[in-house]
Amino acid sequence: MELLWNGLTGALQLLLELDPLVLHAAWRSLWISGLAVALAACAGVPLGLLLSQSQFIGRSLCVVLFRAGMSIPTVLIGLVCYALFSRRGPLGSLDLLYTQWGILAGECVLALPIIVTWTHRAVGGLDPRAAETVWTLGAGPWRRCWELISEARAGIALALLTAFARCLTELGIAMMVGGNVKYRTRTLTTATAVETARGEFDRGVAMSTILFLVALLVTVLHAWCNRGKKEG
Amino acid sequence: MLEIRNLQVDRGGNTICRVPRLTVGHAECVALVGANGSGKTTLLRVLSGLERAFQGDVAVSATMRERVYLHQLPYLFRGSVLANVMLGAVARKLPRRQQLTEAHQWLERLGVSHLADRQSGRLSGGERRRVALARTFITGARLLLLDEPFADLDRSGIDGVCRAMAALPEATFLLSSPGVLPQQLADARVNYLDPPS
Repeated sequence: MELLWNGLTGALQLLLELDPLVLHAAWRSLWISGLAVALAACAGVPLGLLLSQSQFIGRSLCVVLFRAGMSIPTVLIGLVCYALFSRRGPLGSLDLLYTQWGILAGECVLALPIIVTWTHRAVGGLDPRAAETVWTLGAGPWRRCWELISEARAGIALALLTAFARCLTELGIAMMVGGNVKYRTRTLTTATAVETARGEFDRGVAMSTILFLVALLVTVLHAWCNRGKKEG
Repeated sequence: MLEIRNLQVDRGGNTICRVPRLTVGHAECVALVGANGSGKTTLLRVLSGLERAFQGDVAVSATMRERVYLHQLPYLFRGSVLANVMLGAVARKLPRRQQLTEAHQWLERLGVSHLADRQSGRLSGGERRRVALARTFITGARLLLLDEPFADLDRSGIDGVCRAMAALPEATFLLSSPGVLPQQLADARVNYLDPPS
């Protein structure tokens, strides 16, 4: 108990002193996760919309595969990315291993199935009259897509927040692809693991506290979006 | 405007709509009258292009973009009433200023101009229908397929709808009604639909 208490007070001191190691890791975690979700959303939202509105051979298989993709362990994604980005791998020439961009690519893969599946559910769960109405009013394909996305925006926001929370708290990709290089690829999760293992408990708790606060913020936003969905 | 011969729609092994013959001329107003389950909605959905699985001959001299269908229970999108009505003008690609002017005009004709800034989720049943009708009328469609447009409406609401319909003398109206039509539509041709046996 004393260890935890000392850790918490030490963590508070580090946060108040704006410890550069903690701040760097926090900032890196936030921008990598945010950008990964934004990039995955560019492909994931249209894909989810397509799966919910179109009929084509293999559609159900795609839905099942994306759904299954949500539960892939992050170490497996990390392993595949490592194999792809390593010097002997097919993407070795891109020099992505042990870089922030490598972590970003891995987190995009992590976020994509979450965004596709939840967008598919959100748009597919809309009243069928929504799509019929916008079609019969003569809107073109882009406008129809826009109206449906707009109508399902609470559900899509939930998808993005869920993906962001998953990317922010993952360890496997950041550790395997990023390599936990100090001031270069260290994120909140890898730093927590390493600092705690080295006996720097204060710093580990400080990192975890930031993770917890961000996760709490995401949960509050999640609940707020869900409330909007129920009212809509 | 349209001609139907031996139309039949089956679903789940049952015939849900049967129309031996129906002809509607240009700028005519025809009311489909029949009991529940007589296939009025199905017929309107076939003509709007929303229902594609049918047998028989259906010839409509208006393209899909020149037809508009209003659901029996109209759907309004999230956002303001004005935004919903302006969505009806989207296919006409009008300048935004003109869309705004026309949207206000249609809301005025239907007696709901005071609701322009209200959120669509905060409307009563009759208000929702009048807003949805304004959105339907602003499309400029040549063939308007209206499923029970007078349901939920009080006398002033019915007056407003009839006034709005009169403002579209070139349009062809095909509307459904479960029973008696309003007096203002006394000139409309009535086509009775029998429930398919």
